[in-house]
Amino acid sequence: MTMRAVKLRTAAGRALFLGFVAAAYCFLLLPLVIVVLASFNAGELLTFPPQGFSLRWYTHFFNSKPFMDSLFLSLRLAATAMIISTLLGTGAALYVVRFAGKWRDRLRLLIVAPLLLPEILSAIALLFFFYSIGLGKTVGALVVGHVLITLPFVFLAVSSVLYNFDTSLEEAARSLGANRFTTFRRVTLPIIKPGVISGGLLAFIVSFDLFAVSLLLKGIGMETLPIQLFDYVAWDFDPTAAAVSTVSIVITLIIVMLMEKTVGLRSLRF
Amino acid sequence: MTVEPHRLALQRAPAARETRHRVATWLRANMVLLLIVPTLVFLGCFLVAPYLNMLVMSFRNPSTTSVFAPGYTVANYGKALTDPYYLGVLAQTIEFGIVTTAICATIGYPVAYHLARTRSRFKGLLYVGILSPLLVGVVVRCYGWIILLANNGLINNGVKKLGLFPHGLMLMYNAFGVGVGLVHVFLPFMILPILSSIQSIDPALEEAAQSLGASRTRVMLRVVIPLSLPGIQAGSILVFVLTISAYVIPILLGALKIKIMPTLVIQLLIDAFLWPFGAALAFILAASGAAVVYIFIRVTGRLMKGLT
Repeated sequence: MTMRAVKLRTAAGRALFLGFVAAAYCFLLLPLVIVVLASFNAGELLTFPPQGFSLRWYTHFFNSKPFMDSLFLSLRLAATAMIISTLLGTGAALYVVRFAGKWRDRLRLLIVAPLLLPEILSAIALLFFFYSIGLGKTVGALVVGHVLITLPFVFLAVSSVLYNFDTSLEEAARSLGANRFTTFRRVTLPIIKPGVISGGLLAFIVSFDLFAVSLLLKGIGMETLPIQLFDYVAWDFDPTAAAVSTVSIVITLIIVMLMEKTVGLRSLRF
Repeated sequence: MTVEPHRLALQRAPAARETRHRVATWLRANMVLLLIVPTLVFLGCFLVAPYLNMLVMSFRNPSTTSVFAPGYTVANYGKALTDPYYLGVLAQTIEFGIVTTAICATIGYPVAYHLARTRSRFKGLLYVGILSPLLVGVVVRCYGWIILLANNGLINNGVKKLGLFPHGLMLMYNAFGVGVGLVHVFLPFMILPILSSIQSIDPALEEAAQSLGASRTRVMLRVVIPLSLPGIQAGSILVFVLTISAYVIPILLGALKIKIMPTLVIQLLIDAFLWPFGAALAFILAASGAAVVYIFIRVTGRLMKGLT
């Protein structure tokens, strides 16, 4: 083979590779783009070409009591789960990384277990459990389910920061006369802050989108947004669902941007 | 001569003071336990206890009037493991898991490699492109596919307008639709671990192999892919486990025409109230999944031997 032929072949291979990668990105983003487009389309169904711009599906959404109730329930639930998970997860991460000693790996495994176990299995287990202790179908059960699933995210985010933490900073503060509490408040906390923030925001997003746990643990009148949307989509095809989806995408996007602004998306490590 | 009050107290009750002192020192030394105890209590109550309770539930006697009858039995497991219907559903679930994992690895690897090695200034944007579908709810993503794949959806509309298939294509409510949904939703879980394992490979290794005369394909097959096996392994386990326990996607894109374990178990629990039997089926699914993952780890572990 001549040099020229080799070069041509390499160029063709490279083009093929880049084309494949581009197609994969399109595949990943296509449904999201379609949902957003459908929500602004005037017609009953998304047809090609589109039938003009309209906000009627958003009006429909904002005037629908079930959807608005679900939206606020989901937001409140996500905020509650975020606060509890952040408190529990941050403390647990501090203990496991710094003080657990030989128990470190076992505790780590226990705390991330809800992430490794299938969500549907944990949901079933919680359903049986709350029923048998007489707390089935309560808001408390729903909150517990959401905290259980979101806790590992906070724990992982905070502990990944702690592993890269220079403990001599704390020692310096102590040797300069600061007590334990002051050291924690003025040295430790500012350093782990990015992990706490990104973990907490991630917990919010995960809770906001959680489905299986909510489906099994919800009581009457506790339809979260994903559940309300699921019921709607299973029976109706009209683009109100697209407007609801777009709003939930925007809420997620705001949280992601908040994360990027405060700590940077790079701090998310899995 | 006066005795200071606390000295007096010390003389009067040395034992009590001793105990109080010991408790105080222990508390001060173990203050840090306060960090972990709330989490341990929480996980003990709401993770360990419920799973144990579910295990017990799977051995309970079924009942027609209540969720379970008194007494214990292994008949739930016997029924699930001998009835060809349930075994068939289990086999189909595992099959979906393996096929989805294979497709995700095939699509995800080139994407991860490109992102790890690109010097494009849009690198951050590409990273968000992979991460963002992960952060959008699974119901929303399925809805996007419904708009595209439904019988009167976007693709069928276009195809009919062009006069290609006058009766349209069956893209949903079958294995194809469910497969597309599963691959789409779980693809990021494959890409991210592979990405981080490729990023940890020194690019100088590739350059060295190439300068010694290896072709690009050979460099990929002999250097890059073997070194990134840990990422492929981690991603595959994640995607497999997520797929065999997926519930929303098979329902919305398969509409109960595709029978797999999670939808069947939920149906048994919520509609039929067969709690003991449902619990047994859930454990059988978990055990089968764990067995597949174990075999996979053993096989890939042999391939990765001598890597570290």
